[in-house]
Amino acid sequence: MTKKVFGVLSLFIVLSMLLTACGGKAAEPQVLRVWIQWGDNPQQIQALFDKYTTETGIKVEVTAPVETDKILPALTGSNPPDVLILSGGDLAKSYYKEGLIDELSPAIKTGNIDMADMYAAPLIQCQQGDLILCLPWGTDAYALFWNKDMFEAAGLDPEKPPSTMEELVEFSDKLTKVSADGKIEQIGFIPNHSWSHSDLYARNFGGFWYSDDGSALTMNSQPMVDAMTWQQQFFTKYGVDNVQSFSSSFGEYGSPDAPFYAGKVAMMVDGEWQTGPNFIPKLKPELNYGVTSFPPPADHPERAGTIVTQGTAVVIPSGAANKDASAKLLAWMMSPAIVAEEFCYNANLSTSKKAAEDPCFKELGPKFQVFVDLMNSSNASAVITTPISLELNDAMGSAEEKILLTGADPQTELDALQSEFESKLVESLK
Amino acid sequence: MENLNSPQNDGERKLPFGIKLPPKVVWTRRTKSDLRTGILFLLPWLIGFVTFTLYPMIVSFYYSFTIYHAKRMPEWVGLQNYKDLLTDEKFWQSLSNTMYMVVIAVPLGLFASFLCAVLLNLKVRGQSFYRVIYFLPSIVPTVAGTILFIWLLNPQVGLVNTMLARIGIDGPNWMADPQWAKPALILLGMWGMGGTIIIYLSGLQDVPVSLIEAAELDGANWFQRLWYITIPMVSPITLFNLITGMIGMFQYFAQAYVISGGDKDHLGQPLGSTLFYSVYLYQNAFQYLKMGYASAMAWILFIIILIFTLLLLKVSDRFTYYAG
Repeated sequence: MTKKVFGVLSLFIVLSMLLTACGGKAAEPQVLRVWIQWGDNPQQIQALFDKYTTETGIKVEVTAPVETDKILPALTGSNPPDVLILSGGDLAKSYYKEGLIDELSPAIKTGNIDMADMYAAPLIQCQQGDLILCLPWGTDAYALFWNKDMFEAAGLDPEKPPSTMEELVEFSDKLTKVSADGKIEQIGFIPNHSWSHSDLYARNFGGFWYSDDGSALTMNSQPMVDAMTWQQQFFTKYGVDNVQSFSSSFGEYGSPDAPFYAGKVAMMVDGEWQTGPNFIPKLKPELNYGVTSFPPPADHPERAGTIVTQGTAVVIPSGAANKDASAKLLAWMMSPAIVAEEFCYNANLSTSKKAAEDPCFKELGPKFQVFVDLMNSSNASAVITTPISLELNDAMGSAEEKILLTGADPQTELDALQSEFESKLVESLK
Repeated sequence: MENLNSPQNDGERKLPFGIKLPPKVVWTRRTKSDLRTGILFLLPWLIGFVTFTLYPMIVSFYYSFTIYHAKRMPEWVGLQNYKDLLTDEKFWQSLSNTMYMVVIAVPLGLFASFLCAVLLNLKVRGQSFYRVIYFLPSIVPTVAGTILFIWLLNPQVGLVNTMLARIGIDGPNWMADPQWAKPALILLGMWGMGGTIIIYLSGLQDVPVSLIEAAELDGANWFQRLWYITIPMVSPITLFNLITGMIGMFQYFAQAYVISGGDKDHLGQPLGSTLFYSVYLYQNAFQYLKMGYASAMAWILFIIILIFTLLLLKVSDRFTYYAG
């Protein structure tokens, strides 16, 4: 008899444990949960969201950073975060296709979010036709950094950065030093320094790998071929092995030994944060450098001031328990005061025009201001994203490696990508 | 056809590959109650196994025939995922990278760890010190060890190339060179083979001294004793290390992930030379959200590992000697 009771009891305990594990949560949103895919400084972000608690009495719990592979199970499960901040619009597109996040029009309405205050360029990565799948929170843009001392040493005018892509190549040759045994000692420019910048080069050649509305793949279009060919010449000229071997001696990104800081690379494409308090001013305050927009090709001066923005994207999971509460928190996050506070602190660009006028951005200095001004450029655009972006980007990365490091023919490689992904894109947008 | 219940069989039922089943049970009140108690003790593991291993396996088998949707029902596509894999260039690349590691790294690692174990089994002064030294790297966490190797193998400032330069060799670009990235990972693996060495060492110590002495009296030299006595005597251990090493290598992931710097854009670089099977599976599952496709990959890997293991067990009869 006791055995039976014991058996029944243990079965009951096991069942109740399983049920608890699968159960939902209470509907009342006493605590809102914000997950950030990419976050250097969780304490600072938590402190920012604590202000929301002060204003509304609703507690906000921030988790950052969260790995991509943890987000998916959370979104498919019964208890996703109330607001999710992704590293970019590409994941938002994939998640929306799978029904994991909401289209934001209702939330924009509920939260009364002023869309006119938002810069057009960063919003592009969130749009899919008429749908708005995410809202850009912080934005990055890339420009050309040049080391004035190295310019001077090479006999170039330190105040005159290259004004065309052709001139950049010329300058780079002058700035590259090779030792007697053929090893590179100093290099003028590495086109894919730190990571790929093909988006910026392609825009300067007048195109992108998607059509502007993201509905068609234009991978093997002339601007893409030109962008790859232009980059390839640096490797052909200086020697792939030499560049690779030289690059591997570089200090870590964001350390005082980073190659641009250490005078190993004379020109680089990098983002606005470099001018902010956590990078050059802190790591190499004595660095004598300038920043300007990346130059256009000589025959297209009208493309001056081209930037390609990309940045964090805020989404609301479709399984969020209280959509109104999520929408209100989203609206609060998008308010100019909060945007200014968060992105002045991190020295990233504001997505809100009003916030960009906050004096705190001016305090970041004239070099940061170069980026702020570029946000208003008529040639400001964004990385276009689609539901196949992540897979396509990886394939593109491989193709780019092949082109740059093995001297593969750009047209052939891009044709192959085009034929592989053309139909996948159409399929994914159905 | 053998009669499984024939009296000569002693009630023992034979399965392929020499697996033996226990004799048939006669059900009494006692055995039934034993079974209940047994199952009850087994329950914690059983629940864990069913929930976290068996159920996911069955479901992944089903998913491998579907296009997975996170919120909607999976779409049945039959064998499409498997067919797509056959024409997927990256699938073949990842498989060939993985086979490279299995075929080269596993035997090389076995050979090297056996050699180390033999040396560590010699009776010399300070032997326990050497044993500690050789074992030490294997307690370094994979991530830390891999990062250490990234620095050791740095083409310009790394210790390895600096030493090579001293003797006049221009060292390769290691992790940045598609030809050298896998050999670099193999080196890393061999550095951390303390676990295999320990298993070999314990095996070596089980080799009966009487056999070795007898051979010695018969005039066998050191190499002959090793070749005719030690190696056959530790062959079950070789088989064990071979199978576990091979299975581990088929699932090679962490080191490849670490050398990408955790950056999804750098996974598999340079030129796809470190795109291993599990890495590509991970990409499909968690980056491209192609769970069905990834499940199909997982099942193909399962079958490959199964075939290899069975094959090894089958041929192992010829080179494995079980004393007693």
